[in-house]
Amino acid sequence: MSELRRDPVIGRWNIIDTDEPAGPSAFEVEHHALGGGKCPFCYGNESLTPPEIYVLRPPQSPPNSSGWTLRVVSNKFPALKIEGELDRRGLGVFDLCNGVGAHEVIVETPDHQRQMADLTHEELVNVIRAFKGRSLDLRGDKRLKYSLIFKNFGLSAGASLEHTHSQLIALPIVPKRVQEELKGAQRYFEFRERCAYCDMLSQDVQEDERVVCENRSFVAICPFMSNFPFETWILPKEHGADFAQIGPEAITDFARILKETLLRLRVTLSNPAYNFIIHTAPIEPRVWEAYHWHMELMPKLTKIAGFEWGTGFYINPTPPELAAKLLREARLPL
Amino acid sequence: MPELRKDPLIGRWVIIATERAKRPVDFVASHDESLPADECPFCEGREAHTQKEILTVRSDGSGPNQPGWKVRVIPSIKPVLRIEGQLNRRGKGMFDLMDGVGAHELIIESPHHISNAADLPQEQLHASLHAAIQRMTDLERDLRFRYVLWFKNYGSTAGAGRVQHTRSQLIATPVIPLRVKEELAGARHYFEDKERCLVCDLLIQEREAKTRIVFESTHIIALCPFAGRFPFELWIVPKRHRCDFNKMQPEELTDLSYVMKQILVRLKAVLNDPPYNAILHTAPFRHPGTRVGHWRTLEDDYHWHIELIPRLTRVAGFEWGSGFYINPTPPEESAKYLREAVVEAEVAAAH
Repeated sequence: MSELRRDPVIGRWNIIDTDEPAGPSAFEVEHHALGGGKCPFCYGNESLTPPEIYVLRPPQSPPNSSGWTLRVVSNKFPALKIEGELDRRGLGVFDLCNGVGAHEVIVETPDHQRQMADLTHEELVNVIRAFKGRSLDLRGDKRLKYSLIFKNFGLSAGASLEHTHSQLIALPIVPKRVQEELKGAQRYFEFRERCAYCDMLSQDVQEDERVVCENRSFVAICPFMSNFPFETWILPKEHGADFAQIGPEAITDFARILKETLLRLRVTLSNPAYNFIIHTAPIEPRVWEAYHWHMELMPKLTKIAGFEWGTGFYINPTPPELAAKLLREARLPL
Repeated sequence: MPELRKDPLIGRWVIIATERAKRPVDFVASHDESLPADECPFCEGREAHTQKEILTVRSDGSGPNQPGWKVRVIPSIKPVLRIEGQLNRRGKGMFDLMDGVGAHELIIESPHHISNAADLPQEQLHASLHAAIQRMTDLERDLRFRYVLWFKNYGSTAGAGRVQHTRSQLIATPVIPLRVKEELAGARHYFEDKERCLVCDLLIQEREAKTRIVFESTHIIALCPFAGRFPFELWIVPKRHRCDFNKMQPEELTDLSYVMKQILVRLKAVLNDPPYNAILHTAPFRHPGTRVGHWRTLEDDYHWHIELIPRLTRVAGFEWGSGFYINPTPPEESAKYLREAVVEAEVAAAH
């Protein structure tokens, strides 16, 4: 008998196949070959991207030249543009506004050959510092209400360039999925005066069935109501709504657990395409006592079909307890 | 300047890229490896390869589970939910769960090995939709179920799997899915404010504007929605206000199969046989005793419709994290391409 499990925050039910659980070999995995061509994120091609917004480079090296270790630029094909007014308006029963916002690319390393999981600890610390730095900087723009940090790795996860990079999109509205989560967390908090994510962490650590790995400041789990096989969340142990408030010690620990989780997913699932998304509180309003920031990682293993689109109700063929066990037991390269 | 558009029903915002609009040739359709036609379990003559039929349309007096059918409804070969047992709702610490009880049925839309429903005669589409109505009406009697979803996956990227034979599916669930709840809440919210149905208002506006209408018949309209999430996304909407798909009148059903044929043929022509999903949005079951609270105005505020989504773009991290989509083709452009694909559509309709 399969199970229906409910997300305690947003209230979505998912179907978990506990009868014939699908292991890693049940999924087709995309092969990530490095193609040729001129890569705009490699040394010497800095002129192929818009000018850098944030960069780590040796003193005295001129901007937009080679020699950098991390570089943030505007997306050359932005989904939203930073210039102009929002101009909210109506059109009969419809509402619209101009596509104002920011769309930035964080080039994590000049090395074209490595994936994010291969970055050194120092490089990953720099990436997380860049996420934090850019989020804080964009708060100065009063038109923007939300910053979304995410990564698409592999063609089937939506990556159009193979050179390792993450993205930041700042929006003039709080997106729907985030609003649902905030509302759900608030409802849970009002009733119990506790944070839903803190409760989830303590139950998962206690039951010890869904924990993938853990360090001083973070826990990685496969959530009870996972939408997708091998979905993994990284949650800070300390309650806090805003990712951008992350301190120096937590940055170090976040870099460590992110690397370990990415390696575990890579070993267990033969280098799958994946997405990760940092779920954090909106820029405005600032106070969300009930919310708890976290990162959601989703390997792209299944195809979303009509049922999922129609219902927002996912069929997950791998129980999270099995996914966590396999990820925990993965033998990591030393 | 790109635009942000808000879905008036569920409040979801979509980014419409008005400048760098993508054309049909910018999308490449992909079809994966499939099961050879001579191993297809859904073809006439291989009835023994599936479970016993639940419902069939036969006109030649042939017996059950024998050749001679036009449309055949069977339990899914890989059901995710099981029909037997009780729900056994329970908690586990902070979490809620219940057993995976439900129904999962396949409506095989042709005895012949046809993969795209666009290639079916209108008569077969009619018989298949009619079978769906009968099954939904039957499943509604099971008090364990709250909702039944009719949908169709065509092509591997749309989740059709290795069997290519054209079919639609029904899944009855013991809960009302979140996406449906949001839509119902959106419809109710609009009705509370205006005492009119949002979709009826939307149809009036769209018929005046004309830019997003693809095709119109006596009872049914096909249009590309203003805040469509995906390029060439379509809605097929009845003109007559009704919340339940399975309470449709015979003349509406005939017209719906005509419009479905038109739309599927146009999509196939304009986008070079794309994978797609079709999803019915209809009202949940209203069992006696449950029609309280927010169900009060449901019959007046909700309007059934079918959503058709060609699978042309990949949903990436941004969309998952935000529930906010980037649509590279403005719906007005999509509608224009589909509207103007007259020649092929007429040729096919004449068959």
